[in-house]
Amino acid sequence: MVMEMTKSSKHGSLYAPDIATITDVKTLTPTEKQFTLQFDDDEKKKKWSFLPGQFVELTVFGIGEAPFSIPSSPNEIGAFELCIRNIGSVSGALHRLEKGAKVGIRGPFGNGIFPYEKMRGHNVVIIAGGLGMAPVRSLLKCILEDRKNYKDVTLIYGCVEPQSFLYKDEIAQLKKSGIIDVQLTVDRPDESWKESVGVCTNLIPGLKYNPEDTFIIVCGPPVMYKFVIIELEEKHYKPENIFLSLERRMECGVGKCNHCHIGDKLSCVDGPVFSLWEIKNLKEAI
Amino acid sequence: MLYRVLDKKDYKDFVSGLIAGYKVIGPKKRNGMVHDFVTVKSFDEIDVNYKRTTLPPAKKILFPSTEELVRYNLDKKIDITPVVNAEEIILFGINAWDLNGMNFLDRLFTTDFADDNYIAKRQNLIVIGMDTEPAETNFALQMGAEYAKTGFDLFMTELSDKYFIRVATPKGAELLKKYAKINDDAVSEADFAEYENVMENYRKKFNLKVEVDSFYDCFEAKYSNKQLWEKISDKCFSCGSCNLVCPTCFCFNVTDDMKLDFKNGIKSREWDSCMIPDYGLVAGGHNFRPNRANRLKQRYRCKLKTFVDKFGTYSCVGCGRCVEACLAKINIYEDINTIKEEVSI
Repeated sequence: MVMEMTKSSKHGSLYAPDIATITDVKTLTPTEKQFTLQFDDDEKKKKWSFLPGQFVELTVFGIGEAPFSIPSSPNEIGAFELCIRNIGSVSGALHRLEKGAKVGIRGPFGNGIFPYEKMRGHNVVIIAGGLGMAPVRSLLKCILEDRKNYKDVTLIYGCVEPQSFLYKDEIAQLKKSGIIDVQLTVDRPDESWKESVGVCTNLIPGLKYNPEDTFIIVCGPPVMYKFVIIELEEKHYKPENIFLSLERRMECGVGKCNHCHIGDKLSCVDGPVFSLWEIKNLKEAI
Repeated sequence: MLYRVLDKKDYKDFVSGLIAGYKVIGPKKRNGMVHDFVTVKSFDEIDVNYKRTTLPPAKKILFPSTEELVRYNLDKKIDITPVVNAEEIILFGINAWDLNGMNFLDRLFTTDFADDNYIAKRQNLIVIGMDTEPAETNFALQMGAEYAKTGFDLFMTELSDKYFIRVATPKGAELLKKYAKINDDAVSEADFAEYENVMENYRKKFNLKVEVDSFYDCFEAKYSNKQLWEKISDKCFSCGSCNLVCPTCFCFNVTDDMKLDFKNGIKSREWDSCMIPDYGLVAGGHNFRPNRANRLKQRYRCKLKTFVDKFGTYSCVGCGRCVEACLAKINIYEDINTIKEEVSI
């Protein structure tokens, strides 16, 4: 049968990336670097935008492609940042690239985003563990740029060691300014550490927000979610107002390759951000 | 849908005409043993009396085991060229359940994001279906896939001295007009009566009992029963044979291969298998699907539940290929029944 297709992808292939140039590389921690990227095509550069929580598929030519969430502000047009841990084949190759190198970008992908619009007029608690800071930073920036429209905001950010914190200066400044409440914690403190010790979960009982009026955002390593959720439910936060970024192996980004399935949902097109309510019965999600 | 009949004596001329005019891929007996869909050059090569082919025919053409998606050239100006070429092919003799398997792939590759690499091939594929006998392990009827409603240009069912032909597209009508000695008269009531009779007998050949309707809820009831799933998956070798032969399995990896000149390269996709251990492995070493029980459970969910919600159909067409291919004799319809029994006890 000759199929009648009304939709067609712009490139002629969903898997054809656009070319972007690395315009800046900054070392954030011993294992993470921040890359600033710009599309080579002027039109693309001007028009490309994303929403907090979305991700891109980045190609290092000859090595492969991998998904990375976008930590920069959605309001910045013309360039975007990625925060990448040197841990796999693509991220490893990327860490060897320098300013001026060309990479391929597809995206942004993900229909499940951090609901920054719905959260306006309410309290917001952001709980980030380790590299989980990268995706939520985009939301944090979004909120800070529109601060008056949100009520109280708390950031709980936990890492293994003090040196693992991403965006150290930025967060220190934020804490000092008092624009939002910042609570930091580490598993393994050093002598100079003056903040909390232990996992993020320990800081949840101290939250004083009214569950009816509060959104919670959670992003961190897979092991973190289970314990954070137990604590949040203990405090009666509503599952439909708790949002979790559940990243899997989003290999194609477009809902075709099926690697990122969580039960009957796909992280790449249904997520990567899900409300706790949506995944309540997907026992393997958490 | 139009209905036509073709006298059996004119069948050979019709098929020969198609072969003369097009590249035709049809069922051929190979090594006197198995049937496979290959390019056929003459009418005599075609043997539609097959019960099962190892690989599903439509998937072989539309979503091959490896497939170039994009070519790139990293010269001063980087060039990225999608590979979306396709030649016009007639797929001849595909049966109803394999056709329904193709319909599933069609739906998948055109939903949300339109996959042009697939669509280019699909748009150039002319499909002529044909009813065939089910193999012993076939449960297409139980899966509601024994009859194809769409996806074909022509669909032929053998009656006593003629073929009953359903014509679904203008292309199909054109082929009949061009290559078949057929008059444009409407099919008689007697022909319809015989067709109904043939279909009724055909449906009687699917004898397996499969409690698939209850799976939707029974699966949830037994989801956390670790013991049960470990028992079901205990023999699994994690080899992925079930995925390779499945007409609806669509998981793939995208690979990037650069040539030795460090300038030219290709991105291609190759089939992946949800049964193999590194399917859910991510950078850093975390594996979201670390054991066999978890992987098999997810396969059953994907086949029998996920797409009931998404598309309103099972993504299993009951062809029984996985049952035959499994080295450990894991049997999907027996497991469906086991789960139902476990809930009923």
